[in-house]
Amino acid sequence: MIDRQIPQERLDFIWALAYGAALLFMLRLVNLQVLGAAHYREIAERNRTQIISQAAPRGRIFSSDEVAIATSKPSFSLIYFPGPSRTNAEIDHMARTLARPLGGDYEDLRRGIYRAVSRGKPVRLAENLPPKIMLSLSELKAVYPGIDIIVEARRFYPFGAYLSHLVGYISKMDARDWALRSKDRNYAMDSRVGKAGLEKTYERELKGKDGGIYLEVDSRGKLSRVLESRKWVPGADIFLTVDSKAQAAAEEGLKKSISGKGAVVALDPRSGAIIAFASAPGYDPNMFVLSGSEKDVLPAGQILPEFNVAIQGSYPPGSIFKIITSAAILESGRVKPDETFYCPGFYDAGDRVFKCWNKKGHKKMDFINGLANSCDVYFYIAGQRAGAMTVEKYSRLFRLGQPSGIALPDERAGNVFGPGPRAVKKSYWFIGDTLNLSIGQGETLMTPIQAAGMIAAVANGGVFHRPYYVDKIVRSDGQLLYRGKSEVLSRVELKDETWALIREGLHSVVSEGTGQAAKITGAEIYGKTGSAQNPQGKDHAWFVAYATVGDQPAKIAVAVLVEHGVHGASAAAPIAKAVIEAALRSDLSAKAAPRPAAGANPAPETPPAPAPKGAL
Amino acid sequence: MIFPPQAGLKKTRMDWALFLSMIILLALGTSAVFSSVAELPQQARIVRVQLLAIPMGLLAFGAAWSLNYQIYQDQWKYVYGALLVMLAGVLVFGVVDKGSRSWYRLPFFSVQPSEFARVGLILVLANYLDKRIGKIKELQTVLGAFGLCVPVFVLLIKQPDFSAILLTFPVAILMLYSAGASLFHLSIILGYGFISAVFPGLWALISLNPELMDNSLVYYFFHLSDSVLNASVFIAIIAIGAWVLWRLSCKFYTGVPGLYFAGVALVLILGFFSGVLVKKQMKEYQQKRLEVFLSPETDPRGAGYNLLQARVAIGSGGVLGRGIFSGTQSRLGFLPERHTDFIVAVVGEEMGFWGMLLVIGLYVLMLRRLMQGARLARDRFGYLVNCGIFSMLIVYFCINLGMLLGFVPVAGVPLPLLSYGGSNLVATMAAIGIAESVYARRYTLV
Repeated sequence: MIDRQIPQERLDFIWALAYGAALLFMLRLVNLQVLGAAHYREIAERNRTQIISQAAPRGRIFSSDEVAIATSKPSFSLIYFPGPSRTNAEIDHMARTLARPLGGDYEDLRRGIYRAVSRGKPVRLAENLPPKIMLSLSELKAVYPGIDIIVEARRFYPFGAYLSHLVGYISKMDARDWALRSKDRNYAMDSRVGKAGLEKTYERELKGKDGGIYLEVDSRGKLSRVLESRKWVPGADIFLTVDSKAQAAAEEGLKKSISGKGAVVALDPRSGAIIAFASAPGYDPNMFVLSGSEKDVLPAGQILPEFNVAIQGSYPPGSIFKIITSAAILESGRVKPDETFYCPGFYDAGDRVFKCWNKKGHKKMDFINGLANSCDVYFYIAGQRAGAMTVEKYSRLFRLGQPSGIALPDERAGNVFGPGPRAVKKSYWFIGDTLNLSIGQGETLMTPIQAAGMIAAVANGGVFHRPYYVDKIVRSDGQLLYRGKSEVLSRVELKDETWALIREGLHSVVSEGTGQAAKITGAEIYGKTGSAQNPQGKDHAWFVAYATVGDQPAKIAVAVLVEHGVHGASAAAPIAKAVIEAALRSDLSAKAAPRPAAGANPAPETPPAPAPKGAL
Repeated sequence: MIFPPQAGLKKTRMDWALFLSMIILLALGTSAVFSSVAELPQQARIVRVQLLAIPMGLLAFGAAWSLNYQIYQDQWKYVYGALLVMLAGVLVFGVVDKGSRSWYRLPFFSVQPSEFARVGLILVLANYLDKRIGKIKELQTVLGAFGLCVPVFVLLIKQPDFSAILLTFPVAILMLYSAGASLFHLSIILGYGFISAVFPGLWALISLNPELMDNSLVYYFFHLSDSVLNASVFIAIIAIGAWVLWRLSCKFYTGVPGLYFAGVALVLILGFFSGVLVKKQMKEYQQKRLEVFLSPETDPRGAGYNLLQARVAIGSGGVLGRGIFSGTQSRLGFLPERHTDFIVAVVGEEMGFWGMLLVIGLYVLMLRRLMQGARLARDRFGYLVNCGIFSMLIVYFCINLGMLLGFVPVAGVPLPLLSYGGSNLVATMAAIGIAESVYARRYTLV
């Protein structure tokens, strides 16, 4: 036995220390490697891969005649990924060499490269490169490793300011957009998203799946190899019900109008499909494609004309409201259609005299002539006979005070004027109010799309459809994602003879009355002009119309509003005519073909008749 | 009986379990080193050095094994002298790498003498403790043992090589402990070592965070070493404070020996002086190194980053590992110091949980065999030598793995046999060779 004069148990204690430490380490390893393996594997994967994302082409937007309204075109971006560590002098030199062909700011480039180096992440140095500098850049690519050119798809709107309120625009994400999408793998910080209109509503369908180059990088962000290059998947294409020619006619007409402000809404009365939807002023969505925010592109002090006149502008309807009054007086049974009233040019309401727009007076007027000439006095008397409540009831039936239901944000509902709302406000209803109501003045307000719905209802016999503009959405692999459906919202039940009389009256408005500027050879146009008095300035010009060709049911109903256009007949009717002509071009040419000589009398013989005037 | 009776019946000359676990760890380490340096620019040099170090290590192991270990006891003065000359020489002839003048540049490789000095010091301490075993309970013995260590520490601080001190100090403590030194004396020494490390450490910390100096006490503390007046005021405060405390405690308890208070005060004052000495001795770059050591956040990516990356590497290995030569964390350089201090993380990433179990298991087996070797040693010197080597490996094992797994603050400590480092490898294998020599000449019943 060795006696070492040493307490042996101390060795055991040190041993226990080692043993305990080893056990502790193993427990920790179980925690790390067995339980936490997936978590740490993910971090390791994120560590080593970097993605240079390539934006997928957004889905295209087509009109019903397959003209691309929004499309994508290839665009080249210059990217830099930090390579083997370089000296500052080398970076400066590279930035200087690159700045020459790019025509960009040397300081910006240099800063971009430094940012890439310090973050160890690839950056886009320049976007949307013109093709002519590609060659010189390709040469530089060989000299400076780390710079590369990638192709991406960039949004392009071939017509510029065209259907802009419906299509909307895309732009870089702001903080709120990013907060919503930061979890989404398909979005990067510099991705573009739809900010308004269709681009916003159908962002998910239009987006597609971004492609990307997956790079394996080391701890300094240096590229070690390309893992894979993932091809993008383009977004789904949207086919609109909008007809490109009719839309072009509408945009053109509004642009050429006196004020350049207004709206055109054309519907298919059979379904509620929108054929044209123009709202002026519009904007060119192309200007947002590259920018970060609206502030970058608009001159100081100017704001984006996002106000959508067609659905957000409420205007007094003026004489186009006489269609509703007509329905009311004929349905009330208190006025016979062939009953005549004498129009001396004014109407004495006792304490006040209400004028007709024609100071000379229309003399004897029955219903058809009254509507055709828009005789105010006829409607004063007939409206009074029918009663204000009846007119109010029919204005509700024609969906005043209710949004049309189109899938666009912030639609206005217009305003119903009548004894009902007055009673709600605990105020009085005067006889003058009845007279004003009958001719569409007073407090009645209508949006252009409501006017379009009204005239479409006349065309189709009282059916109100929900206006829709997306015909179908087709995925890039051909799968149909969505098909627009016609939806009946409500129906106005009028007697057949009432419809017939109103239509006859509207037909004579165009054939011999105030709306002769809308006359089209080969088609029957039923329309109504309107001039809405406007305390702020010149009168607003209205024209609502629908057209039939032969015995076919009406295929188009259109409402035109020109702000401060003064006369519906001169300012609004020609636009409606152009839109209808464009929309019905195939029917018209088919009809015109057999007798080519017949198109000789299109221009109105008389200068446009003065527009009807409301009560003063 | 302190060992199973059959243990000594088979008289083998080699502890095969120890030898084999050493060889397997070496093989694991070498593959991990090769894998981790595959993408490094200095790959060729590292591979060459590793391939050179293995045969040299085996040679050292064989030589140490065949040589009777008792010769180190006889010739302890030469051993001690050689290690001091080695350490002093490196201050003159050595080259600076990473802020420390710790390497001799030789034609094909560099030698780090502190690695060998640590083994030499174990031998010298073992001899000293063996001689003084009768007076092991006396303070002089403990102080004498540290007297042997102090020149080594001073030379190490001169380099400066803080991690070498960090490793050597606990080894000395553990050796004294296993030799049976009084726990009170050991705690005094521990306190002294702690305080002499705390003073320069605190000063460096304060200079790193100047806003702390708004506090006047901190300001005063920071300028303690600037003038003799300040220092003497500080010493006087400690001395008087200790005396007052002693008198106070005498009021409440009877027979409180003043020695304890005097001892504490003395330790504080001595620690302060050695702290001042350390601070005054340090050059600019050494100060920098201490700062990085204390506050790794000054490193731009931070120690937190390094530790996280090490944890990610180990965790991502999972149970089976990602395959040898396939770890992305290590190969792409996310893992810092991957071929040296963080080599175990490479093993963890590439060989997974089983690989880690193997490493820990082999280490524990090796430690176990070293302990058994100590038990079986022919004489007390052999016992103490084995205890020293045993302690050295325990300290390495605990600090390295503890740091990697987040139990211990970051310190640049390698894991012998696995980490890259020629001097460390050769020195460790020589130490195990010495332990084998003790085993080969063990006490047997037959």
